[in-house]
Amino acid sequence: MALPNNHGYFGNFGGSFIPETLYSCLEELKKAYARAKKDKSFKTNLDYYLKEYAARPTRLYFAKHLSAYLGLKVYLKREDLLHTGAHKINNSLGQALLAKYMGKKRIIAETGAGQHGVSAATVARLFGLSCDVYMGEEDMARQRMNVFRMKILGAKVIPVLSGSKTLKDACSEAIREWVTSVRDTYYLIGSTFGPHPYPMIVRDFQSVIGKEARAQIIQKEKKLPDFLVACVGGGSNAMGLFYNFFKDEKVKFIGVEAGGLSRNLNSASISYGDIGVLHGAKTYVLQDKFGQVKGTHSIAAGLDYPGVGPEHSFYNDSKRGRYVTVKDSEALEGFKMLSELEGIIPALESAHAIYYLKKLAKKNKGALVILCLSGRGDKDLEIVQSYLDAEKRG
Amino acid sequence: MNIKQKFQQLKKEGRKAFIAYVPFGFPSIAKTKDILLALQEAGVDIIELGIPFSDPIADGPIIQAATAVALAKGANTKNIISTLKALKPSLKVPLALMTYYNPILQAGVAKFFSQMRQAGACAILTVDLPIDEAHEYRRLAKKYGIETVFFITPVTPKERAKKIIRSASGFLYYISVTGTTGLGKTLSFTSLARHIKQLKLQTELPICVGFGIHTRKQIERVWNFSDGAIVGSGIVKFIADNHSKRNFLNRLKKYVKSLKPD
Repeated sequence: MALPNNHGYFGNFGGSFIPETLYSCLEELKKAYARAKKDKSFKTNLDYYLKEYAARPTRLYFAKHLSAYLGLKVYLKREDLLHTGAHKINNSLGQALLAKYMGKKRIIAETGAGQHGVSAATVARLFGLSCDVYMGEEDMARQRMNVFRMKILGAKVIPVLSGSKTLKDACSEAIREWVTSVRDTYYLIGSTFGPHPYPMIVRDFQSVIGKEARAQIIQKEKKLPDFLVACVGGGSNAMGLFYNFFKDEKVKFIGVEAGGLSRNLNSASISYGDIGVLHGAKTYVLQDKFGQVKGTHSIAAGLDYPGVGPEHSFYNDSKRGRYVTVKDSEALEGFKMLSELEGIIPALESAHAIYYLKKLAKKNKGALVILCLSGRGDKDLEIVQSYLDAEKRG
Repeated sequence: MNIKQKFQQLKKEGRKAFIAYVPFGFPSIAKTKDILLALQEAGVDIIELGIPFSDPIADGPIIQAATAVALAKGANTKNIISTLKALKPSLKVPLALMTYYNPILQAGVAKFFSQMRQAGACAILTVDLPIDEAHEYRRLAKKYGIETVFFITPVTPKERAKKIIRSASGFLYYISVTGTTGLGKTLSFTSLARHIKQLKLQTELPICVGFGIHTRKQIERVWNFSDGAIVGSGIVKFIADNHSKRNFLNRLKKYVKSLKPD
């Protein structure tokens, strides 16, 4: 059976927990998406922009040195080479075309690391839509370059001062704006979360990653991989990679969550959270026993979120995927490892997945792995520098 | 007195409902007790007591800020019940709890309903639980004698409104604007009146109007075509601005009375 079901559920997870005001626009979105999916010209159009504008297909690169170092056979799915520097553009192109298809003139978006904000601002420019991006004040400070990029692209970046001033609050604020201007505004959600049909739509637009990777690995290795490894915040790059391998039961999925600083301060919703409802979906949520959502932390702003896409929660509970944690310090090691061995500077988000390969290698020598290199590290250089300086000072 | 009896009484007396919203735990748990009693003395017909939630996606800045204070003061689903139990002998105004879904999901919906019933609350409004997700919730609410209020908005399609009416009890909450709670909204009274008139043809349930309503004049106008007006952010702002002043409770009573049309 295809998931989600008609009510937006992946097993026990998902659904649509929203203020009543949003009901009709989600219905409108469901209908428009169903129409667009069947519309050949929509697909042709999207394929054109993915290829000519975003530079798809991305390469599946055999990381020779990393493989030798770890005793694995590692291929990198190079989403970092896409226009704007991360996988986010796949989804933004798809949804912006959908917004246009629906006749909307304005998009709003939330962003954590700024990668989704940049890709939303980019497609808004491309398709002549106006664009407001909600971003936590703390994230604006630590991702200054992306803020500047969005401004250059003509988007309005709206600082969010509530709560922890990170992605969670940016998301709440974007929903508030959406409730307010629901009649003419399209909410371009950046990851596989939110109310139905967003987790499905974002997954579908990101599934191009796994679709390509599956064909590429078969061509290069004449077989399917043993493991797929990707970082999980909201979970869109991971779901994008995993989805087309769902029926390949021997291919194991590993989602790497941000272990942050400790068991008490992290962003690992599946590993350390409980089932709850956040931003429209039932999923694993980092929360206290009274159902208040906890403050989170990750060195990677793009993983710094207390919830996770409901389909990942479903993969976890049905044992289709395994979800593990990698701490800040380990992610930094992953960051250095890939930079030094392969000459590729990864985003700190992806660096979590890279580090995990080290753990994976211990018991799985020689295994064939595809790792989703979801973004490039340029945006993170200041952060990495400050951590390295702190390390030096001891 | 429960909500049904309250509306029957109001109808008999030819009056409309004045409903006040305050968040539990703001500015402190102890002061919430005094505030609830002050609202009662000021002649509020129904009190909506908000359960603070860390991510109030339907609330504007005033209630967001109050909620953050309440959470910092330790407000939660456990001490809201114990506070209400302690107040039960003196608080006679029908009490509805307004919440987001996650706090009651974690408390256990059945357990929470049974406890709130014992504590004297008679209705629940859950902002982010639309009827489609509310089957079990409604079943349990019925079992424990809790009325389930649902929302209708200016963008609710007609067919949808019918379903909501069938799912609701106690009263219907008509959200006056597309947007969050707060002040400074532009209310279109003509279209409000028209929508509510249409809904009235379909249901006997009282229809009360909330969001953006905070002046006596607005309340008067809303009363013309509905069964009640809900004031939230206006009162919360008054509490925020005045709770540390002398004679705060008297000021609050005076303010609330000044909102209520004769």
